[in-house]
Amino acid sequence: MSQRNERSTQPELGGVTHWLIHHAARRAPESLSSRLEEEWLADLESRSSPLSRLHFAVGCCWATMVIAGDYPRSRVPAASPVAAARGFVTLIDRNFSYFSLRSGTLFLIAGLHAALFFGLITTLSHTHGLATPPDLEHIVLDPVPPKDLPPQPPGMEVTDWMVRVPKPVVPEPRNIEVEKDPTTEVVEKSPEPYSPPLDPVTPTHVVQQVAGGPGAGFPETADFYPSVSIRLEEEGLSTVRVCVDKRGRLTSEPTTVKASGSTRLDEAALKLARAGSGHYRATTEDGQAVNSCYPFGIRFQLKK
Amino acid sequence: MGKKDTNVRMSLQTLRVLEVFLENPAEQLAGADVHQRCGIASGTLYPILLRLESAGWFVSQWESIDPSSAGRPRRRLYRLTSAGLRRASEVFASFNRGVLA
Repeated sequence: MSQRNERSTQPELGGVTHWLIHHAARRAPESLSSRLEEEWLADLESRSSPLSRLHFAVGCCWATMVIAGDYPRSRVPAASPVAAARGFVTLIDRNFSYFSLRSGTLFLIAGLHAALFFGLITTLSHTHGLATPPDLEHIVLDPVPPKDLPPQPPGMEVTDWMVRVPKPVVPEPRNIEVEKDPTTEVVEKSPEPYSPPLDPVTPTHVVQQVAGGPGAGFPETADFYPSVSIRLEEEGLSTVRVCVDKRGRLTSEPTTVKASGSTRLDEAALKLARAGSGHYRATTEDGQAVNSCYPFGIRFQLKK
Repeated sequence: MGKKDTNVRMSLQTLRVLEVFLENPAEQLAGADVHQRCGIASGTLYPILLRLESAGWFVSQWESIDPSSAGRPRRRLYRLTSAGLRRASEVFASFNRGVLA
């Protein structure tokens, strides 16, 4: 069965192989055409298998193209139809010596692959369409209640995410003590009541203020006690207001803030206040002496 | 006629063809014989043979037989020239130096 098939196909393939070799030889340079045809037909006889013979014939066609590229144009008849049939490969090989036949074939194959890939990509993009992003959707999220908050620090209250700091504790201004005199007594008053900061949330710094008053070397009250008042046994408390600089000196004339009820005692108190210039203790803020005005009382009292 | 260009591009297939001829430099071989010994396809083999012949490494001539009495067509036989033998030996010697060095 197989032998019958082989016999039936052999004449057909033999005709094809001979035609291929004859055709390939005609496309070769004219000086080699007859030689190559006879040589290839002779070598074809050494092939026994029909497929091997067909492979040999196809190889001869390829060899013709290579040989035609190796040979210069002058050896190829210009008017021959072979020259036209030689085609693109021969032309590029003659004009561009660096562009070999193999390179041209590789470029041709690469180009075909690129075109095929481009066509495939284009087809796919048209089939599936361009990728469009989905429409934007606005979602209002519910507020998330705080969970597992850390315990509140002592003295602080957390309400609506605002921290309320308790009011700072500011020490009361220190009372001024005046040296006790057997006949008179100087009563000091607090210069001004302390007013807390307006904004309780942002007290960043509290000034430690110490009011001034009569200091060391301040004149004795008895030296200014009017003699008439002593005879008339007048006593009383006169409150004067003085303005003192950093060195304890008066910067303006003392004034009577609260009268004692006796003009003589009030005037004596003003004299005492003037005489004490340079011996006042200046008011301090955070330990630094500053200019200030403050009232203090001068008591005139007789010895019993 | 200008001076013949004796330079040949040394591809792996060309070396294999030369190797076949160097086994017996005086032997004349047809294309079919070379194919049987080294297995190079006809599309590559014949251009190499023609290239080496053009470069003067090979000479070729028709087989001196009577086709009618032999029962087959005459073959084209190739043989190394003295210059071809020298050049081929140099090529393989350079390759061997490169390998063995």
